[in-house]
Amino acid sequence: MNDMRIAERDVSTSETKIAARGVQVHYGTSHALKDVDVDILNGNVTAFIGPSGCGKSTFLRCLNRMNDTIAAAKVSGSIKLDGEDIYDPKVDPVQLRAKVGMVFQKPNPFPKSIYDNVAYGPKIHGLTRSKAELDNVVETSLKKAALWNEVKDRLHAPGTGLSGGQQQRLCIARAVATSPEVLLMDEPCSALDPIATAQVEELIDELRGQFAVVIVTHSMQQAARVSQKTAFFHLGNLVEFGETGQIFTNPRDPRTESYISGRIG
Amino acid sequence: MPVLWIALIVLAAAAIAYVLARRSALASAQGDVRRMHSLPSYYGWHAFIMTALPALLLMLVWLIFQPLFIENRIAAQLPAEATATATAQQLAMRDVRSVADGLQAAISSGAITPDEMEAFTNDPSTLRARLGEAGVALGGNVTPETLEAAQNFRALASTMSLTMTVLVLGVALAGAAIALKQVRPDFWARNAVEKTVMGFLIFASAIAIFTTISIVFSMVFETMNFFSQYPWQSFFFGTTWSPVFHGNSQLGIIPLLWGTLYISFIALLVAVPIGLFAAIYLSEYASNRVRSFAKPLIEVLAGIPTIVYGLFALVTVGPLLRDYFAQPMGLGSSGTSVMTAGLVMGIMIIPFVSSLSDDIINSVPQSLRDGSLGLGATKSETIRQVVLPAALPGIVGAVLLAASRAIGETMIVVLGAGAAARLGLNPFEAMTTITVKIVSQLTGDTDFNSPETLVAFALGLTLFVITLGLNIFALYIVRKYREQYE
Repeated sequence: MNDMRIAERDVSTSETKIAARGVQVHYGTSHALKDVDVDILNGNVTAFIGPSGCGKSTFLRCLNRMNDTIAAAKVSGSIKLDGEDIYDPKVDPVQLRAKVGMVFQKPNPFPKSIYDNVAYGPKIHGLTRSKAELDNVVETSLKKAALWNEVKDRLHAPGTGLSGGQQQRLCIARAVATSPEVLLMDEPCSALDPIATAQVEELIDELRGQFAVVIVTHSMQQAARVSQKTAFFHLGNLVEFGETGQIFTNPRDPRTESYISGRIG
Repeated sequence: MPVLWIALIVLAAAAIAYVLARRSALASAQGDVRRMHSLPSYYGWHAFIMTALPALLLMLVWLIFQPLFIENRIAAQLPAEATATATAQQLAMRDVRSVADGLQAAISSGAITPDEMEAFTNDPSTLRARLGEAGVALGGNVTPETLEAAQNFRALASTMSLTMTVLVLGVALAGAAIALKQVRPDFWARNAVEKTVMGFLIFASAIAIFTTISIVFSMVFETMNFFSQYPWQSFFFGTTWSPVFHGNSQLGIIPLLWGTLYISFIALLVAVPIGLFAAIYLSEYASNRVRSFAKPLIEVLAGIPTIVYGLFALVTVGPLLRDYFAQPMGLGSSGTSVMTAGLVMGIMIIPFVSSLSDDIINSVPQSLRDGSLGLGATKSETIRQVVLPAALPGIVGAVLLAASRAIGETMIVVLGAGAAARLGLNPFEAMTTITVKIVSQLTGDTDFNSPETLVAFALGLTLFVITLGLNIFALYIVRKYREQYE
C-alpha cells in the first residue's frame, strides 16, 4: 500500500470551490491557526496533513462553521464558498452545513435504523417529496458508499449494530444523501482496519467526481494515495500547499521534507 | 465481667499480636523484606484478625443464644400451671426476670447482704418491701417458686457469663498463638488478610439485602394474618373503604389505589414536561455558568422536607385552587383536593426528572450532535431527532423513579388531598391514597389483631409490590437500551 501512484494522478484544472484567505483561529488565548490561505478545487481531493495539534482539523471545521459549537473559538479572515463569505452574518450556518457535509473521525451513526440514518438529512432538508423518492435517495447513497449490498436486506436494523468499517461507510452515505457540494472528512479511517480503510479510500476517489473532497489524515500514505492537492500544517501555520506529487517528492520547505521523511511529527 | 471489658481485652490482645507478629516477620526475614511473601504489616494484620475475629464472633453468638438457653432451662423448673399457655409462661418469666434483676441490683449496691438473702429464701413475702426500700420496684408479691426460679436464673446467668469470658479469652489467645506460629517467609499473609477483608465487604452488602428480605417477610406474615380474617376478594375488588373499629368494616383497596394513581398521574403530568424541558435547557442551551448554579438550585427542591410541601399545599395552593378555579367553575368547595396534592407533589419530583434526565442527556456522546449538526440539522432538530431518542431509555427510567417516589408520598397527600377515600373523577374533590390510610389505621389506640389494623400491612405490601415493580421495570428499560450508543 505504499505506492504513490504519481503517474496516475491527474489534477483537474476546474474552478475554485472554496477560497480561504488569511484565516486565523483563536481558542481563548491560544492562537491555533495563523494566516492560512488555501484554495479547494472542484473535482479534487485535498488532503491536510501534519502532526497532532497542528491545526488541520481546526481549519477543516472552519470550512463548515462547526467551530461555532465551541464557545471559545474565534475565527477571523475570509472563507468564500462560490465567492460568498461563509462567515457573513447573513449566512445561516445550518444552510451552509447542508452544502458542506462532514464525516467525522469516529463513526457516529445515530441510534436509529440504517434507513433512518441515511434518510435523516434528506428529511430535515425536505429534499424529497414522496416515500419512493426517499427510498431512492437512500438506495443511491448507500450504493455510493459501497454499503448497499451488505445492508439491503436489513435496512431497518439499527445502524449501531454494524461493524466499525460499515458504520463509517454508513456515515459517509448519510453525508452523501444530502447531496453536498463539498465533503469534509476528519480522519475518516483512523478507527478502521486496513481493509475498511481501503474501501473508504476507494470510495473517496469515486466521490470526487461529484464533490470537492477535503480529507484530514495522519497517514501520509493515505494522503498520497487519495489526494490531488496536499496542504502541510505545522504549529498552526500552513507550511506548504501544492500538488500532492510535488509535496511528497519534491517539497519546497525543509519542514515539509522533515515531516514526510519522519524527522518531525 | 461486662461484655465491653471482654471486647476491649480481646482488642488489646489483638493489637499486641499485631506488634509481635510484625516484629517476628521482620526478624524471620533478617531485615530483607523481599524474602517474605508479604509485607510485614500483613503478618501483623493476619495475627490481629486471627486473635480478634473468632473470639468476637464467639462472643456475639453466645450473647444471642445465652438468654434463650437460660429461659428454656428456668421455664422447665416453673410449676406446670405457670407454663400452661405461651402467654402465661411469658408473664411468669417476666416476673422471674424482674426479681432476678432486682436482687442483682440490690446485692451489688449493698442494700441487701447475703445473710439477709438466706432469710428471704425461707420467707419471700417481705422481699418486695425490702427491695422497694432499696429502690427496686416490683409489680407484685414474690412467691417462693418465683424467688427460687430467680435465684436459679442468677446462678445460671453468672456461670454462663463466666464460661463465656473464659472461652472467649481462650479463643483469642489460641488464635494469637496460631497466627504467631504461622509467621514464616513462605506464608501468604496478604492473601489471608485480603480474604477476610472481602468477607467484611460481602457481609456489608448482605446486611442491606437481608434487611429488604426481612422487611418483605414481616409484611407478608402480617398480611397473611389479615387475609385469614378478611376475604382477599373484598380487599382487592371492594370499592368501598369504611373501616369501623367495632367490626363489619368494608376495606376495599380500589378507592385508595385510585386516589394514589390519580394524584401520582397529576404529579407526573406536572413534573415530566417541566423537568424534561428544564433538563434540555440545562444540558443543551445553558452556558456552563448558568448550569453551575441553576442545577443545584433545582435540586434544592428535592431537599425540602415533604411536610413543608404539605403546608404549602394546605395554606397556599389549596385555597388558591378552591377560590379561583373550583368554586367559579362549580366543581366543588373543598380546600383539599387531588389537584392540590398533585400539583405540589409534581413540583417536589421535578428535580428527580430534571436532574437525572440532565445527566442522561449529557451522557449522549457529543459525536452524535456533531454528526447531526454537520449534516445541516438545526440545534432543535438535533435535540428532537437525535439526542432525545438516544437518551429516551434513561429518561423513561428517570420518570419511573419519580413515579415510584410520587406513589409512596404521604405528607403532601394528608395535607393537600385530605383523608376521604373516594372514587371519583373530579380533580377538585378530596381523595386519599394508600399511604395516608396506612398511617391513619395504625395511629391511636389500636388492637393489633383486628382486620382494621392489619389491613395496613396488606396496603403496605400492595404499595411495596407496585413501587418495586416500577423500579424493576425502570432498571430493566435503562439496562436494556443503555448499550445502544457506546
